[in-house]
Amino acid sequence: MAAEGGHHALPKNAVQLSESLPFITNSYVATWLAVLVIILFCRAGAGKLAMVPKGFQNFAEWVVESLYSFFAGVLGDHLAKRTFWFFGSVFLLIIINNYLGLIPGVGTVGWDVGHDGHVYKPILRGGNADVNMTSAMALTFAILWFYWAITENGIKGFLAHIFAPKGKFKGLLLPMMIMIFAIVGVLEIVSIAIRPLALSFRLFGNIYGGEQTLELLMGLGGTWFAWLSSLPFYFIELLVGGVQALVFSLLCAVFLKLICEHDEHDESAEH
Amino acid sequence: MMTVLAAAAEGGNVATELAREFGWNKILFIAQVINFILVIFVLKTFAFKPILAILEQRSKRIEEGEEKLKRIETQLAESEKATAETIEKANADAKRLIEEAKASAVTLSEEKAQEAISSAQAILAKAEEAAKAERATMVTELKKDFGRLVAATTTQVTGKVLSEADQKTINEDALAAVEG
Repeated sequence: MAAEGGHHALPKNAVQLSESLPFITNSYVATWLAVLVIILFCRAGAGKLAMVPKGFQNFAEWVVESLYSFFAGVLGDHLAKRTFWFFGSVFLLIIINNYLGLIPGVGTVGWDVGHDGHVYKPILRGGNADVNMTSAMALTFAILWFYWAITENGIKGFLAHIFAPKGKFKGLLLPMMIMIFAIVGVLEIVSIAIRPLALSFRLFGNIYGGEQTLELLMGLGGTWFAWLSSLPFYFIELLVGGVQALVFSLLCAVFLKLICEHDEHDESAEH
Repeated sequence: MMTVLAAAAEGGNVATELAREFGWNKILFIAQVINFILVIFVLKTFAFKPILAILEQRSKRIEEGEEKLKRIETQLAESEKATAETIEKANADAKRLIEEAKASAVTLSEEKAQEAISSAQAILAKAEEAAKAERATMVTELKKDFGRLVAATTTQVTGKVLSEADQKTINEDALAAVEG
């Protein structure tokens, strides 16, 4: 893959590894590794749960409890109980995928090695540096978001959340506000429709951008000092990997909270 | 990215261009959705559910333990209070008993002293009586001896044998002279 401006650029799409199985890409293999890590995490941390935890169970409990407390703080206890399985899974899959992508060898070991040592078909590529992965999570969330929003509010409440005027209006102001909030509702629908796209490309862009930067910095270091020139950026990527997992899952949680939030003032007025 | 913008400018299908540019395709997307669902299933079934259950169980146990501890503390306080009350009551009872014992001892000692005095007086009276009886006996015996002596002396002085009547008269005269 020739690069623009004389540098090697990472392709935007994952590389297909098998001709007979078109879905086997290097990102897909990396995601499977993440799945394997998650399975090992479950096995080691929650295989034999004891009332008095020891060893890896402590770590697994710390992870799950911290995540649950975090999402319960955003969503409230009721929603957290219903939806934690999704948000916890999203966070863990993204963070594990991001950190696996930083392991030396990912993106640098593979086939089609050029004269300058550049690998054009790496066996592994960061799972989230593939828009198929990020869009899979974002679209799954979008579907679940509709399901949770409707089951929490009812269809009428769901539509009212989007289109109904917020606040109490009387007289001539009321039809005006109905019109304004109907237009706002249309904008809200556009915003809802764009969310999966925004979620997908935000995560993809950050991870792809990070890998691209590492690739370029490695190019600057030459054959022998590639590791040194890219080393400082690895620390930033460690931070980005965690932050992006947090941003994606937090945004999903906030979107859900916003649609399920009940207006306390309206409710107290109704009572 | 330029091709996407060009497609948008030409009124082409931006979505298709965007998908082509970033390598998005249905098959890969579905494969990744399956992966994602698998991750959710594994985590939900084998990690979140059991770990959250044990956390809840543990927090329930801690709550129960706290409740028990509170109950035990209350019981302990009550028991300590009851013990203190019992000890206080026992002390009061003991004090009262000691006072009563002291009072009773004084009375008893007085009674015993009186008894001792009475018995001493009785002994004295008896002794006096015995002494008196002894003296009377001695006097009687002395009188007898004195009579015999007088009779014997008279017999020897006069040289005649005295009759019983003479002896009786001489004795009575002699005794009358001694007593008088």
